[in-house]
Amino acid sequence: MRKISLLFLTIPLLLTGCVSPGGVVAEDLWVKSSEMSMQGGMTAVYGTLTNNTQQDVVLVGGETEIAGVVEVHEMTMIGGEMKMQEIDGGLTIPAGMSIVLEPGGNHLMLMMLTDDLEAGEEISVTFDFDGAADITVDGIVAKPAEGGDEDYHSGEMEMDN
Amino acid sequence: MVSRRGFLAGGAAAAASGAVGIAAGAAGASLAAEADLETFAASRQAEFYGLHQSGIELDIQAVTNMVAFDIKESVTKADMLRWMRLLTDDIARLTAGEPVLADPAPELAIGAARFTAYVGFGPSLFSKLGLEAQMPEGFAELPAFGVDQLKERYSGGEVLIHIAADDPVVLAHGTRGMVRDSMPFASVRWVQPGFAHSPGMIPAGLTHRNLMGQVDGTANPELGSSDFDSVVWINDGPEWIQGGTLLVFRRIAMQLDTWDQLGTPSKEEVIGRKLSNGAPLTGERETDVPDLGARHPNGLLVIPEFAHIRRAAPQESGERIFRRPFSYDNGMNERGSMDVGLLWTAYQRDISQQYLPIQRRLEQLDLLNQWTVPIGSAVFAIPGGVQGSELLAEALFS
Repeated sequence: MRKISLLFLTIPLLLTGCVSPGGVVAEDLWVKSSEMSMQGGMTAVYGTLTNNTQQDVVLVGGETEIAGVVEVHEMTMIGGEMKMQEIDGGLTIPAGMSIVLEPGGNHLMLMMLTDDLEAGEEISVTFDFDGAADITVDGIVAKPAEGGDEDYHSGEMEMDN
Repeated sequence: MVSRRGFLAGGAAAAASGAVGIAAGAAGASLAAEADLETFAASRQAEFYGLHQSGIELDIQAVTNMVAFDIKESVTKADMLRWMRLLTDDIARLTAGEPVLADPAPELAIGAARFTAYVGFGPSLFSKLGLEAQMPEGFAELPAFGVDQLKERYSGGEVLIHIAADDPVVLAHGTRGMVRDSMPFASVRWVQPGFAHSPGMIPAGLTHRNLMGQVDGTANPELGSSDFDSVVWINDGPEWIQGGTLLVFRRIAMQLDTWDQLGTPSKEEVIGRKLSNGAPLTGERETDVPDLGARHPNGLLVIPEFAHIRRAAPQESGERIFRRPFSYDNGMNERGSMDVGLLWTAYQRDISQQYLPIQRRLEQLDLLNQWTVPIGSAVFAIPGGVQGSELLAEALFS
């Protein structure tokens, strides 16, 4: 299920955020710090991406120094269980709309972490788009968080990658 | 608020006069004004960014949680800075009435409700992290007082987060977010909830009443005054404490069963003030200066030797503090005796020059000691405020 909501401009930009007029704007980004976010492990980036262009854009992937592999994932019902899997062809953000990356939903998955990611640390992430310029956001803070029913603990074999 | 009230009255008068056309419009507008009044507490915001942390130089809010932590063994200065990064962002968002990042229940961010939170550090944190040189002047653990009956579960602590708001749900939700972000670094040592009046009960600036019935906080320096600055806010010493203050926290239990056996004149003599409006026994208004030399025709002092305000009155010009006490109500026993009292807080530049001389006098003689017992105690150094992208206590932990 893709979650699409209108952007409410009353939400002010706080500490993290990246404005690129006419392109894609990222807001309220954070990355999860959990027992899984150790060197060699995995985590995910969440937040809101708004497409300020006149055409649909597609989030196809990303780069960050802290992860060997970055993929766009969705949570979906597979055989009666919520599983995460890579989204075939990326995540479309319709013109003028926002998508929310959130625990239990779509997210930018970081795998094969090159270092431990501890609570309160900041990372830099580049979001790759088809149809708009890539954006790089600094100062994405690692928040201690669990939840979202994400099947983190069952290992990569069950992730239907 | 006054003009809004006036407007409502005007609407009612128009309706009564039978001016139908006008009344219909006024009724619609007054309904909107009434709806505004119903949710006025949600929209009120405190200021987070500035020279000082928020929640001190502010009319007291309805509810509070004081949460004290002890840091984990392995925690370093760099870890403290990561913790402060999380808390700084949390407080900025919560003060604006927004959920924190990664909030699993963002739907609970229903309004700012004058949410505030400030962070402070206990003396043992400085020794644990090798930061003794950064200790502010006049900051140390309190000596033991003869009146103390301190309990470990209400005392001490290496880090304090003092949270307050005008709404209990907003308070609980904010507390939860900040404690969640603290768990990688520390464990909770104690949490002490308290309350004052609900919004709309007393005008801003008026002193609230404690559970003994006294107006509590008279003779405080006025919010926003230069007097307040000189009593409370530190302007020298290590960089991180400039714009900050020193907190003395005392959990003071009230013996209401025996207090309630006193008549009004006795209760007033214990304090030296009238219960009705807090005026000194030698005056008419709360703001009147007590005449400590005044005597009855029979020669007895009007404000007795043992009276609280006589003992607490400064003997040197600098012996003043800013008090912002919340009440607590921790239930009752099977005989109906209530476990109530104060989360008493005093803010100052220098504990040794301001709180200590006052407390030493109260310890020696203060009839109020018969009905009030300190059962918790802690001191915290409160760093200055943040502007722009600064982090709380950044200069201390960098």
